[in-house]
Amino acid sequence: MLVLRPKTKFDISVEAEITPELATKNLKEIENFQIYCGNRTLKLKDLFEISKQGDEKKILLEGDFSKVKYIGFGMDGGEIIVKGNVGTHCGALMKNGKIVIEGNADDWLGAEMKGGEIIVKGNAANLVGSAYYGDLAGMSGGKILIEGNAGNYIGDKMTGGIIEIKGDAGDFIGTEMRGGQIIIHGSCGFVGSDMRGGEIIIKGNFELLPSFVEKEGFWIGDVNVKGEGKIKKLQ
Amino acid sequence: MLYIKNGIVVDPKNKIKAEKMDIFIKDGKIVEEKDVKKSECKVIDASGKLVVAGGVELHSHIAGSKINTGRVMRPEEMRYVRLVAGKFRACVGRILMNAPAIGYEYAKMGYTTAVEPAVPPIGSPHTHEELDSIPMLDKLALPVFGNWHLVLKFVAEKNIEKLKAFIAWALERTKGFGVKVVNPGGVEAWMYGGNMKSLDDKVPGFGVTPREIILSLVEANEKLKLPHSVHLHCNNLGIPGNYTTTVESIKLASKFSNDKRQVLHITHVQFNAYAGDSWRNVASGAAEIAKAVNSENVTIDMGQAIFGPATAMTGDAPFQFTLHKLLGARWSNKDSEVESGAGIVPIAYLPSNPVHTVQWAIGLELGLLCDSNKVVIATDYPNGGPFTEYAYVIAMLMSKKMRENELKRVHQYAQKATVLPTIETERTLEEVINMTRSLPAKILGLENKGHLGIGADADVAIYDMNPLEVDTSSEFEKVYKVFKTALYTIKGGEIIVKDKELVKEVWGRTFWIDATKKVDPSLIKQDLEDYFKYYTVEIENYGVDEAWMRNPQRIKVV
Ligand SMILES: [Zn+2]
Repeated sequence: MLVLRPKTKFDISVEAEITPELATKNLKEIENFQIYCGNRTLKLKDLFEISKQGDEKKILLEGDFSKVKYIGFGMDGGEIIVKGNVGTHCGALMKNGKIVIEGNADDWLGAEMKGGEIIVKGNAANLVGSAYYGDLAGMSGGKILIEGNAGNYIGDKMTGGIIEIKGDAGDFIGTEMRGGQIIIHGSCGFVGSDMRGGEIIIKGNFELLPSFVEKEGFWIGDVNVKGEGKIKKLQ
Repeated sequence: MLYIKNGIVVDPKNKIKAEKMDIFIKDGKIVEEKDVKKSECKVIDASGKLVVAGGVELHSHIAGSKINTGRVMRPEEMRYVRLVAGKFRACVGRILMNAPAIGYEYAKMGYTTAVEPAVPPIGSPHTHEELDSIPMLDKLALPVFGNWHLVLKFVAEKNIEKLKAFIAWALERTKGFGVKVVNPGGVEAWMYGGNMKSLDDKVPGFGVTPREIILSLVEANEKLKLPHSVHLHCNNLGIPGNYTTTVESIKLASKFSNDKRQVLHITHVQFNAYAGDSWRNVASGAAEIAKAVNSENVTIDMGQAIFGPATAMTGDAPFQFTLHKLLGARWSNKDSEVESGAGIVPIAYLPSNPVHTVQWAIGLELGLLCDSNKVVIATDYPNGGPFTEYAYVIAMLMSKKMRENELKRVHQYAQKATVLPTIETERTLEEVINMTRSLPAKILGLENKGHLGIGADADVAIYDMNPLEVDTSSEFEKVYKVFKTALYTIKGGEIIVKDKELVKEVWGRTFWIDATKKVDPSLIKQDLEDYFKYYTVEIENYGVDEAWMRNPQRIKVV
């Protein structure tokens, strides 16, 4: 297992594509792992205290990582535990493995995620499981569980997998969604615009677009795009 | 001073077919041996290498509002990093590259001149700003005329003298090089949701027809004796069955004559060469078009489709809307006042798609069936795909074997809907060098480009291939690799690419045509005043001044 602690409070963001794979490398390789801070190219040891305990494919991030981007980006197995907040793009393009965030997550959590699991004990910001701008598909597999609330644009262009939010969410949930499931235990704003497939299940209040048609206790749409997405009430 | 020693030169304009020759360069020009002091020359040993003129790109959308809107619309393109900033500028873009990447990629391919072929006139300040951000190349810009209200008015009045005065005024104001026409009348009709379906449809509000617009503009262009002919994007682009409109448009050339060059250039003909009456039975009309091209005083460029991502962006706003509806892809409409229009739609050409395969085959058919002195290699970047794949087009035109291999991997619909499988022609090295150098320069009327004769601009490309030893028919993989990246590119006498790597950044010139002395500006004074009374900007603020440009090069027409 690899344990990382920030040496200072970061004023500008740090880009560090840290994946559990790194924990299996030798200490020297880990120390010299290339990261970026603003326009500077640095080594991991320049900004973080590093301690390695065995070769387990697991990373423990202790402290405030809210300015650190791309944690677990594209990871393909292993585990990351963040004992604090995490920055943007955490778990984006992830294929396998598990990320547990004990604090809050920033924008683009699990964007275009293909598999694996992300658990957030606090809140998540915007664009959870979404497609990057211009790309045709968002999250296609795996599961994201958010114990708190989430922001706007959840599961944009999602084609598979599950996003579950225990609290409330903002506007534009499941826009252009084609598959998969979004479950919201609280309330949210507008849902399902240009939705073609998949399901959005909501317990609390939400704003329904006029382009959805009621059908035996649920709604189907978005009729603007001849969609067959379903919006249901969580029983 | 430069001394390119022992290269094997192919220079079609000067009738040099693979001869061992030395080339001397001084002050940015090709000079005679006696004009240089050999001891003071920097020597490039080109023994056993192919030495040709720098490539001339005749039709590539490299600057202006369309490509810029495309970049905004396609952030996914901008995530593709080509080069991290260092000695050279940062380069991004998979197909839709940023400005420095366009210059660098052309240079690496051995190209040194390029034409931006569709400038919305009100957007000319932006277009020139952007052309000024493209390093390595000499540049030219063609403003669009075919739907401009004043053009339609003068055509309706059958007043060629006014049209001439207007063209001269507009080229000066936009710092343009020639007359581009996009879907004549159709873009104006689009302002009312319509289009032109034949050469004889009437343009709403003006009563003129596409046929009259084309004929009048060609007449005015020829009477002004502009270096380039009218550059026409035909009506009905991208519609099955459109090849008949293209053939009809080509035949309009028979009313004119010019012994120096073509009287009409038809562009990206692949997109205007479809037989059939729907996408279900679309087929190639290339053979019919080639017949017309070969019998009239016209030239064309291919508009070759390259498999992979592309972005459709044309001044043909109604076509772009049709394409958006067909593909369900993103769409942006660029409405450029009362002069032109445009649209942008992302697209990808797939070898598994029967229609795309037909498009791919048609471009090659045109390159093989037209007289090699009439057809220029181009992809209508980024409409047909990236210009960086010209090596693929060159290799395909030179090798039947390569075409047979490729035909096996694409959708078999091409076997019955095109004649590509039956074409035996294999272009020679001299022919492809002509199709990428001498011919486009001749079409544009650029006497110092596209050849290596004494007095020519010192734009040279050296490729890692001995033309006397290579069998281009069977060694197509080698041909592809060789033309993909030049060993050396020399621009205006400076080495900008060496050993296939960029070594120096240079800034080319922008050529524009000043024909104002050939016309009487007072003829259109009142018309311009009336036009600008209701226009977005005052006439004083319209267009581009030379002082704003990095390196303007005025060519006076007398
Ligand atoms: Zn074009």
